[in-house]
Amino acid sequence: MPEPLSNITVQMPRAKLAGLLLFFLGPAVAIYSLFSIYPLVATMALSTYTSDPSGARSFVGLANFETLLGDALWSKPFWNALGNNLIFFAVHMCVQNPIGIALAGLLSLPGVRLKGFYRTVMFLPTMLSVVIVGFSWNLILSPLWGVAAGALKAVGLGSLFAPWLGLESSALVTLSLMSVWQFVGIPMMLIYAALLNIPEELIDAARVDGLGQFRIFFHIKLPLVLPTISLVSVLTFVANFNAFDLIYSVKGALAGPNFTTDILGTFFYRTFFGNQLQLGNPTMGAAVATVMFFIILLGLCLYLFLVQRRIRRYAF
Amino acid sequence: MANLRIEHLNKRYGATTVLNDVNLSIGDGEFVVLVGPSGCGKSTLLRMIAGLDGASGGDIHIADKLVNTLAPAERGIAMVFQSYALYPHMNVRKNMTFGLKFTGVPPTERERRVAKAARMLRLEELLERYPRDLSGGQRQRVAIGRAIVREPAVFLFDEPLSNLDAALRVSTRVEIANLHRLLKSTIVYVTHDQVEAMTLADRIVVMNKGCIEQVGKPLDLYYEPANLFVAGFIGSPAMNFFEAEVGGIEGGRARVAGTAFRNFDMPAASLKVGDALTVGVRPEHLVRGGAGPFLAEGIVELVERLGEASFAYLRRVDGRIFVAEVRGRQTPAPGETVTLVAASPDVHVFDALGLRVAT
Ligand SMILES: Nc1ncnc2c1ncn2[C@@H]1O[C@H](COP(=O)(O)OP(=O)(O)OP(=O)(O)O)[C@@H](O)[C@H]1O
Ligand SMILES: [Mg+2]
Repeated sequence: MPEPLSNITVQMPRAKLAGLLLFFLGPAVAIYSLFSIYPLVATMALSTYTSDPSGARSFVGLANFETLLGDALWSKPFWNALGNNLIFFAVHMCVQNPIGIALAGLLSLPGVRLKGFYRTVMFLPTMLSVVIVGFSWNLILSPLWGVAAGALKAVGLGSLFAPWLGLESSALVTLSLMSVWQFVGIPMMLIYAALLNIPEELIDAARVDGLGQFRIFFHIKLPLVLPTISLVSVLTFVANFNAFDLIYSVKGALAGPNFTTDILGTFFYRTFFGNQLQLGNPTMGAAVATVMFFIILLGLCLYLFLVQRRIRRYAF
Repeated sequence: MANLRIEHLNKRYGATTVLNDVNLSIGDGEFVVLVGPSGCGKSTLLRMIAGLDGASGGDIHIADKLVNTLAPAERGIAMVFQSYALYPHMNVRKNMTFGLKFTGVPPTERERRVAKAARMLRLEELLERYPRDLSGGQRQRVAIGRAIVREPAVFLFDEPLSNLDAALRVSTRVEIANLHRLLKSTIVYVTHDQVEAMTLADRIVVMNKGCIEQVGKPLDLYYEPANLFVAGFIGSPAMNFFEAEVGGIEGGRARVAGTAFRNFDMPAASLKVGDALTVGVRPEHLVRGGAGPFLAEGIVELVERLGEASFAYLRRVDGRIFVAEVRGRQTPAPGETVTLVAASPDVHVFDALGLRVAT
């Protein structure tokens, strides 16, 4: 038989217990419901309606989703945005996280001077507003007055310069790298903290075993911070599929050139609020938002069931 | 197997001196135990021998080779850490072979060594397990196994038993002694535990504040401590000390005079009248109704009964407390006045500098 949680709560009159629960749990439940659960449910509900030109709404079931995925007018930009989003995510996974891991590894080496300084400097961009980051990089990379062209020319690489943000072939990757530059401090800090947790004696044992710092990093430190790395990956995934602000501040809602930088966030924005000639369509927008929610949910489930279970945390 | 020579070794962190001119010579196959109070630099010395910490000055020779600039793996040492420091993400076999892989030992040789070490340490059943699935004692044996497979010239142990419970500590201690007998390797072993030190060591090195106070066989340290520090450090409960001075010199014999014991004579040697002295007697050497030069009286305050012996805490004439061991069923009652005597070889006299004076 399970033990009663406490004699005090068991002997308490029901009404009083309910009052107590309400007092302690009520605020958190209320705030969470109001700002997280209600909007989610309301969005999902909205996605099953459609509105006619007069503004009256009628229930249409899953018709909006059929349109979104089946009607070429909707599905083409949707798949384009999803594909771009995957590229955006891939660049973060392949560039931001390895660099973050490497920086953390360098910072955790014994005898590095000015650790605090480097840490702060590399974390600084994370605290900047995305608008400022976007604007600054826009200026830096501008073919007209940017410093990038001049800087490359100064080291004899002037021929490499191109208006990266303006080319269809490179705009998305350039934007991804700007985001990488801004947020590389987050994986760095998380992994650095995990590296600090590894006991000194373990590293000493590896040194006695004849490993240099490089091998210690790959054979000892890296496997032991794998749980943190996978956490960082999940955070990256969620952040990337919810991204919107950088593209919007650099490229506007049209995500040019020719929608090559369009990701789900900007696609949703245009659908919901409308843009220029396109009229806002809240019910289709809600359908896009719902699909985004399920994409992220699917990603998280894959992670939880395929990755998380195989990763083991080590207690030292 | 090799000898180990440490010459004028110094270690400073900024302004603090952690090791001060340490000189130590350890013979081939010798089991040397480092003891000393916490923070005296034992681990630092061990880590410097291992090459994990650099020296501020001085030389270390292993097998007659200067190893100052060599990396830990090139020194022919193996180290067992207090926390075991097993790789948590590798099973026992991998833990043992991991280092060998990087020092160029071929796979068949690796397997042979692991098999041998596993047999020696009764680890055969555990080879595929991960450290998290092992008990503390088993982890300790794996850590020792990882050291053995390196076939080092010198084994370094830093308080290897301090995380084990009392019973396991005794059995692992015996195992380490057996291991030393089997491998005949040179061992430097750091411990807090006097029993470990006394039972395992060929020689004990007593350290204090970064200096070596005395090096000697366990019983030599016990019976002939070189100075007050060693006298007080070795033995439990600690030696009793009585303040004294040279009361007079007559016919080559000095009169040792103090308030808390009966005056006695000893060879004067270089003593002068008025020199301050300290007389030390171990609790277990104080007996009731024996014969000897040293005689002190005390009022029993408290008796601790341990079974095989009891310890009586006695208040001296000058108000301080000293301890005497009482054997047998008859223990003195609190409030009783007891007269205790110590025979001449068990009475230690130290001069004003704390150095032992021959009695
Ligand atoms: N990096 C460091 N900077 C300054 N002082 C240090 C440093 N490392 C160790 N010390 C000092 O060196 C002294 C010796 O330390 P060590 O660890 O060798 O002591 P120990 O004899 O092993 O003590 P214990 O028995 O508690 O393990 C200590 O006083 C310690 O404070
Ligand atoms: Mg220590």
